Amino acid sequence: MDVLNNFIGGTISLFSDPIGVLIFLGGVIGGMLFGAIPGVSMLTLAAILLPFTGHLSAEHGIMLFSVIYCTGVYGGAITAILFNIPGAPENAPTAFDGYPMTRKGQAGKAVGAAVMCSALGGTVSAVIMMVATAPIANWAIRAFGPPEIFALVFFGLAVASSVGAKSFWKGWLSVLVGLLISVVGLDPVGGIARWDFGMPYLLAGIHFIPMILGFFAVSEIFVQAEKKVIGSYEAPKISVDFPTLKELIAHKVAVVRSIFIGFFCGILPGIGATLAAFMGYNEAVRWSKNKEEFGKGKMEGVISSETANNAATGAAMIPLLALGLPGGALTAMMVGVFQMHDMQPGPLVFLLSPDLVWVVFAAMFFANLSILLIGWMETKTIINLLRIPFQFLAPLILCLATVGSYAVRGLVIDVIVMFIAGAVGFFLRRSGYSVAGIVLGLILGGIGEQTFAQAMQMLHFEWSGFIGRPIALALLIAGFAALVGSIYNAFFSKAR
Amino acid sequence: MQLKKFLASTGIVAGSMVFGANLAFAACATDSLPASMDGPGGFPERALTMVVPYGPAGGSGQVAQAMAEAVTELTGVSINRDHKPGGSGAVGMTAYMATPADGYTVLEHIDDAASGHALDSTQPNPAEDLIPLVTSQITFSQIYIRAEEDRFTDWASFVEWVKAQGGKATIANVSKEGSMERINMKYITDATGMEIQQISFDKGAPRYGALAGGQVDALFEQPGDVRNFLDAGTFKPILTLLKEAPSAFADTPSLVDAGLDFEPLLRFRGFYVHKDAPADRVEWLTWAFQKAYCLDSYQAYNESKFMNLIDSYRDTEGSKSLITNTINQYREVYKELGLELK
Repeated sequence: MDVLNNFIGGTISLFSDPIGVLIFLGGVIGGMLFGAIPGVSMLTLAAILLPFTGHLSAEHGIMLFSVIYCTGVYGGAITAILFNIPGAPENAPTAFDGYPMTRKGQAGKAVGAAVMCSALGGTVSAVIMMVATAPIANWAIRAFGPPEIFALVFFGLAVASSVGAKSFWKGWLSVLVGLLISVVGLDPVGGIARWDFGMPYLLAGIHFIPMILGFFAVSEIFVQAEKKVIGSYEAPKISVDFPTLKELIAHKVAVVRSIFIGFFCGILPGIGATLAAFMGYNEAVRWSKNKEEFGKGKMEGVISSETANNAATGAAMIPLLALGLPGGALTAMMVGVFQMHDMQPGPLVFLLSPDLVWVVFAAMFFANLSILLIGWMETKTIINLLRIPFQFLAPLILCLATVGSYAVRGLVIDVIVMFIAGAVGFFLRRSGYSVAGIVLGLILGGIGEQTFAQAMQMLHFEWSGFIGRPIALALLIAGFAALVGSIYNAFFSKAR
Repeated sequence: MQLKKFLASTGIVAGSMVFGANLAFAACATDSLPASMDGPGGFPERALTMVVPYGPAGGSGQVAQAMAEAVTELTGVSINRDHKPGGSGAVGMTAYMATPADGYTVLEHIDDAASGHALDSTQPNPAEDLIPLVTSQITFSQIYIRAEEDRFTDWASFVEWVKAQGGKATIANVSKEGSMERINMKYITDATGMEIQQISFDKGAPRYGALAGGQVDALFEQPGDVRNFLDAGTFKPILTLLKEAPSAFADTPSLVDAGLDFEPLLRFRGFYVHKDAPADRVEWLTWAFQKAYCLDSYQAYNESKFMNLIDSYRDTEGSKSLITNTINQYREVYKELGLELK
């Protein structure tokens, strides 16, 4: 009852304040817009706005960033679906099936599914956040240390190895290439340089955003350009048919599963929406009876990815607000907003500034609902971007991808990496290897190596230490079981 | 319970606020500099660029933002921040050294630049290959435990408990071998005879979460970075790595109080320009950055980060001295550790 009263109080405070409403709307639209432009993500908008939040009240400043976070995660799905350009890393799995749906003339259904599921995942996550922030945060940091996070990453890799590949072996080889790329740069324990070839810029490692833009956007341009040259190019069919309610209800299990996965990944400090999206997608593939349909335009792929990444947004606020632990870059900037107003996120915020907390909670709830409203309205218009002829669209996409790659760290090497990834992706696509697997290996490899090193230090370099940590042990066993099952299938399944 | 923790922590907050208030009203280090200065030949005719070798959300990103805003407030000149994270600051340094030495591009960097040069002399020496405009943050480290910890409650009982674990005790720290954090921990373990496993966390949130969640037994950190946990009464400092404890942490033993005899390494952040930049432009930049240090806005920022507890300011010569002494100290320790110096 207290929760409901507080929520109503927060809602009234939010919508009875004209400036607050303007900031809320600005955040909703700004998040969607910046989320949709590749490379120039919601983080770019947040970094631009950060100095100005000092001139806003603490309530308005924190609320603005929360709203940008919710809608920014959704915004990247649009370009992922329409042009194979994930607006942010957490939208990469959305492109796996979203873009093939566009090529099949189902862009409306894909965007509609993304709108519905982003709103649903985010809203449910916001509700759980309102009800149980403190106990969930305290449980998560006690139950999940580096051994458990490493085990989770291992499990994720084990179940996802064949995503997008034509065979189990090609899938694993793709993931291993990604893992290999992830070790370029300084090692996470001793700071020892690896694979830098004497080039200082490689010390920073290979960032996954240029790789994603290269593998997805640039290679797609190359593929379509080749078709144009040989005369087999077909413009995507324009369709604004939304998914029917029946189609969405048919995927209710995938939605619930992705909400759970997204929320769970979101509450772990330093993990967040990207892993959530990949895990949501991977689990959809794993539990599907028609695995071979994924990657070819299956709506369940879009639904699983978009539900999971938005479910992570509310969850990521839990360690931030309850413990002062930011889960990712945007929540870390939110710490800066708190500090600009002489406040610190953590338990005291609930004690000293309950009004602020409930305005933020209400704003996140309504921001997720507004995805539904604004997303639904914009879908009919935004799909018409597909009408732009390829000869105009391709250079525009290349420009955006180039700017997006450079904007990540301000390094030219990221642009070079993007074009190399584009060229490699062009050839890999026709060979049955999985560019998604490489990206997955790259993203999870970085987290996995670091948490493995930390886990081994914590367990005094004794593997048996995992036995004393039940959650880690369970995840490792599940991962090994998935791996053995996949190998068995690779050898004995007729489908392979 | 939370209120009790809050009230208990107000001792720290109140202490620092009093100190900060004194500092704000006392004469500031650069008050003697002229209130305004014309740029030479109309310099700067366009916005300056500040290369920051770390991300926008961390300590360097925040101090870069605070200083850039203060300089803009003072001079009206905009400063664009160009974040180039990676390689423990090496990527940003390399990128900066490749920019024109015309005074339009400045660099933010931390003591990692000094330790980097100490280990590899082919890396730029910030005291010789660059001109320090100002060092605007100098801080010390502390050892923290959970406030609710009952296995040990202070430094003495912590040392006793760690020794009883036979090397199984853990402390969250920053990863890089030869870093300020690692060297200070070497000093501590050598002086106490403790054997403690250091767990490498290169990002703040997982590092703090590891202590809050009981994944590790202690944490090595600077007070400004964990201020929210101190204010909330979640973490408790049990050792200050300074010879003399600052008033805000009067109840926390200093090195002398704990019977530890070594010179601790400090964390410092400052701003630099190319050594070959035109002298008159360097003079103007030096004035702008040093004068901006004393603006209320910048001082308020430093205070919020506990950067007012010890003298955080060094001018150009003071910065050179700080950097040179730090490099020499690192080299001595690296030799002891058997690290190969280039």
